[in-house]
Amino acid sequence: MAKATDLLQGTLDMLVLKTLALGPMHGWGISQRIQQVSEEVLVINQGSLYPALYRLEQQGLIKAEWGSSENNRQAKYYELTRTGKKQLAEETENWERLSAAVDRILQTT
Amino acid sequence: MFRKISDALRSLFSKDEVERDMDAELRFHLEMEIEKNVARGMSHAAARREALRSFGGVEKFKEECRDVRSGGSIESLMQDTRYGARILLRNPGFTVVAVLTLALGIGANTAIFSVIYGVLMRPLPYKDGTQLVIVQQQAPLAGVLKLPFSVKEVLDYREQNQTLDAVVEHHTMSFTLLGGIEPQRVQTGVVSANFFDVLGVIPIVGRTFVPGDEEHGSDAVLVLSHKYWQQSHGGDPGIVGRVFQMNNRPHTVIGVLPPIPQYPVEEDVYMPTSQCPTRSSEQFMANRNARMMSVFGRLKRDVPVAQAQADLSTIAANLQKQYADSYPTNRGYGAVVSPLQEELTRRAKPTFLILLGTAGLVLLIACANVANLTLARLMRREREMAIRAALGAGRGRLIRQLLTESTLLSLGGGILGLLFAAGGLHLLVNFAARFTTRAGEIRIDGLVLLFTLLVSVVTGLVFGLVPVFSSDQNLTNALKEGGGRTSASASRQRVRNLLIVAQVAVSFMLLIGAGLMVRSLIKLQSVSPGFDPEKVLAIRVSPNWSKYNTPDKTLALFERLLDKVRSQPGVQSAGLASTYPLNQLGITNGPFNRGFQIEGRPIPEGELAPQADFRSASPGYFETIRLALVKGRTFEEADNEKSLNVAVINQSTARHRWSDEDPIGRRVSFDRGQTWVTIIGVVSDVKQYGLDRDPTDEIYIPLAQNGFANNLLVRTAADPMSITSLMREAIYAVDPETAIDRVQTLEQVRTDAVASPRLTAMLLALFAGLALVITAAGIAGVMALSVSQRRRELGIRLALGATPGRVLSMVMRQGMTFVLMGLSIGVAGALLLGRLMSSLLFAVEPTDPITFVAVSGVLMVVAAAACFVPARRVTSIDPMLALRSE
Repeated sequence: MAKATDLLQGTLDMLVLKTLALGPMHGWGISQRIQQVSEEVLVINQGSLYPALYRLEQQGLIKAEWGSSENNRQAKYYELTRTGKKQLAEETENWERLSAAVDRILQTT
Repeated sequence: MFRKISDALRSLFSKDEVERDMDAELRFHLEMEIEKNVARGMSHAAARREALRSFGGVEKFKEECRDVRSGGSIESLMQDTRYGARILLRNPGFTVVAVLTLALGIGANTAIFSVIYGVLMRPLPYKDGTQLVIVQQQAPLAGVLKLPFSVKEVLDYREQNQTLDAVVEHHTMSFTLLGGIEPQRVQTGVVSANFFDVLGVIPIVGRTFVPGDEEHGSDAVLVLSHKYWQQSHGGDPGIVGRVFQMNNRPHTVIGVLPPIPQYPVEEDVYMPTSQCPTRSSEQFMANRNARMMSVFGRLKRDVPVAQAQADLSTIAANLQKQYADSYPTNRGYGAVVSPLQEELTRRAKPTFLILLGTAGLVLLIACANVANLTLARLMRREREMAIRAALGAGRGRLIRQLLTESTLLSLGGGILGLLFAAGGLHLLVNFAARFTTRAGEIRIDGLVLLFTLLVSVVTGLVFGLVPVFSSDQNLTNALKEGGGRTSASASRQRVRNLLIVAQVAVSFMLLIGAGLMVRSLIKLQSVSPGFDPEKVLAIRVSPNWSKYNTPDKTLALFERLLDKVRSQPGVQSAGLASTYPLNQLGITNGPFNRGFQIEGRPIPEGELAPQADFRSASPGYFETIRLALVKGRTFEEADNEKSLNVAVINQSTARHRWSDEDPIGRRVSFDRGQTWVTIIGVVSDVKQYGLDRDPTDEIYIPLAQNGFANNLLVRTAADPMSITSLMREAIYAVDPETAIDRVQTLEQVRTDAVASPRLTAMLLALFAGLALVITAAGIAGVMALSVSQRRRELGIRLALGATPGRVLSMVMRQGMTFVLMGLSIGVAGALLLGRLMSSLLFAVEPTDPITFVAVSGVLMVVAAAACFVPARRVTSIDPMLALRSE
C-alpha cells in the first residue's frame, strides 16, 4: 500500500488516543468527536476506525469493556491505558515537531 | 506480549465469540449512525443505506479487523494454509512437479547431512568425547608420520605428562579361539586395564577390566564386543563365566560391551595387556624399539589441546636426549596430540564436504525451478490476486498467501525427500565406512529431521520470495492490466531468464565435477594392478599357534596344507603369502618396512639404512597371482631352511638400489651383516596399497627360510567362489583346529580397492544428472511460456513474410543466449570446484580439457533440445488467428 496511508494510519491512531484522553468512549462516539472537533475536516472512515481500535487494543494502548451507553444500549467502551498515555505524549510531541517543520517549509518563499 | 498471545489464542479458539463481539459492536455503530441520520431527517431506509455507505463495505471491514484481531497470524495462517492446500490440489500437475523436484533436492541434502553429522559432527559416543585425544609419535625426517609406541615409551609418556588424566594403550591382534562351534579367528583388542573407564564405556553384562587383570601372571579374562556376542554366541545371557581356549590357555569371559562403535578398530574380543603373548614377553617389554601400540589419552579438565601438545613435545625432546640410540637425530622425533574425533574423520572430510556442497547446489537448482514454475503460475493468477486485493486483502496478506503456498510445497518436498534419503542411506553408510569407523553412527535422528525441516522452510521462503520481489508492481494493479503482456510480467520474464542463466551455470559446475570424478575413476580402473586377479581365491588360515610353536612345526603344517590344496580338483596352482596386493588389511596396516644392508655398501654412522617392504611367500605364490618375473627365478621347493638364503626383489627396489647394474647374485643382510641373503630374481611392481599409490620397494623371502605367511591363494579353473567349501574341508582335514576367515576372490579385492572413488563418482554423477534434468525442465518451461506469450508478435512476423523456420531459429537463438551466458559463468565456478576436488582426482587435471569440452557439449545438446521442443510450436502459429486473438 502507498506510504500516505501509513502516515494517515499513524495520525488516526494519535487522534483516537487524544480523543480517549478525555475519558472512556465507544467507537461511534470517537468517530463523532473527531469529526466535530476537526470541524468536519476529518471524516473518519469507520472501515479504518475499528481496525485502528483493535490494533491499539492489541498494542495495549487502550483497553475495551462492554458497558451501557447513554441510551441504555450495550456498547463497547474504550479507555486509555497507562502505556497509551505515554505513547500519546510521545506522538503529540513528534507530531508537533513534524508539523512545525512542514509549516516552516511551506512558509518559506 | 502476553496479552497479544492470549488474544490471538482466544480469537483462535473462540472464534464465534470474537465474531459475535465484533458484530455487536458493529451493529451498535450502525444503529447510532442510523439514528443520527434519522435525526437529520432521513427516512429510516435511506438512513440505513447512508450508514452502510459511509462504512465502506462491511465484509472488507471485517477482514481487516480479523487481520488485526488475530495478531494477523495464527488464524490467517490457518486460513492461508487451507486455501493454499486447496489451490495446490486444484493444480495437481504443478504440485507434483514442484514437490518431486524439491524432494530430490532436499532428499540429497538430508542424506548427505546425516552422513556428515554422524561422522564429522556428532560427539563421540563416549563420556566427554571431546576430551579424548590420540597421541602419535613421528619421525618426519625418515618419512614416518605414525610411529607406534613401545611399552617403555607408553610408560614414559604416562608418568611424565602433566596434562593428561590417563594414558591408555591399544593394539590389535588376531588369535584363534577354541571352544565354540568351529575354531574362530577373533580380532582381539589388547588394552590397558583402564581403557574402558577412560572412554567411559559401561558393560551391559558383567564387568570390564580392573588393574589386577593387567598384572603379570593374573588369570586370563576376556571382554566381548556386542556385535561378536550377538553374531557368534547368539547373545547368550549366560556368557559371563564361560571359558574358551586361546593361546593354549583358558580365558574366562567377564563382560560384554554395549552396542557402540569401537575405536580405533572394530574388535571381536578384548584382553588386558598381560594376556597377549607378544606384549607380555620380557624381551618385548624391555625393548624400547619394539613399537606396536597406539596410545590414547584424556585431557585434564579445561586443558586445551595446544597445552597438551607442548607438554608432550617436552617429553619427546627429553627422551631423545636420554636415549639417543632409539631416536636418531637424522630422523627427527616428536609426539603429536590430536583430538580423537578429528583423527577418525580426517580422510572422510574432503569428500563429504564436496558432496554436501554439490547437494546444496542441486537444491539451489531445484529452488530456481520451482520459483520459475511459481512465476509462471503467478502470471496466470494475477486476476485472482487482483480480485482478492479488491475484496480487501492487503499486499502483505497476499504475499503471506504466496509464501504459505510455497512453504506447503517445500514441506511436502521435505517429507518426500526424507523418504528418498532414508532409502539411500544404506548405500551412504557403506560408502562412509570406507573412510571412518564412525559410519555405524549414521542415522536419521531428531537433529537430521530438524535440519530437513529447516532446509524445507528456508527453501520454501527462498523460492516463494523470488516471485514476490520479481515485480515491484503493486499486485492490485493487476486488475487494470491485460492478460499477461504487462510490465509486471515483463519484469517477471526477466527474472525467469536470470534463473535459467543461474541454473545452467550451476549445472555446468556439477557436471564438470562429476565428469572429472568419472574420468579419474576410468583412469584408476584401467591402471594395471600388476597381477591377474581373475579366478583366484584368497583365504586366511590361522592354525592354533600354541600347537605349532616352532618354525619347523609351522612349516611342516603349511607344506601339508599346500599339498592337500593343490591336490583338490579344479585347483590349478596355490601358494602362501604374508599378504597379497590390494588386501584391505594390508592397506590399513601399510607397508612392513625393514632396514637392510647391501653387501659392499656399509651404512655410515647415523645414516638411515635402505628400507624395503618385507614380505614372505611360498613357492607357487608368484605363479598363482601371475606376478610377472622380470629376471632370474622365483622360489622353489628346494629353497628351504637347509639351503642358501635367497630373496626376490621387485623392479622398484632394483631400480632404486642397483639402478643399471644386475641385482641377481647380489647379497643383502637384515641383521647388520650376520647373515646374508642372495637375490635370485626380480619380479614386476604391483599395486600393493591401492591403484592410485606408487609401488613401494619390496623384498620377498621364502616362507621356508624363517618367513611367515598365512594367506592362502588358489588359482582355479572355474569360478573360485564355488570351491570354498571344498577348500574348507581340505584345510580341516589337515588340522581341524585351524581358523578360516577373509575368504574372498581377488576380483572382489580389486573391486573394493576402487569402491570409494566409484561411489563418489556415482553420487556426483547422480547429483549432476539431477541438476541437468531439473535445468532442462526449467529451460523448457520458460521457453514454452515465452512462446505462448509472444504468439501475437510471432504471428505478425509470420504474417509479414518470415518463414516459420526463420522465426523458429530466432526463438531458439534467444533461448540459447541465456544458456550460453550460464555456461560462461559456469566455467568460472567449475574451475573453482575442480581446484577444491583436486585431492580426490587421480591422473586427471582439474582443468581437464576433455571433460570441459564433453560436458559443454552434453549441456548444449540437452539445453538445445529443451529449447527446441517448446519452440517448435512457433511453426504451428496461424498468423491470422494470432492477429485476431487480440
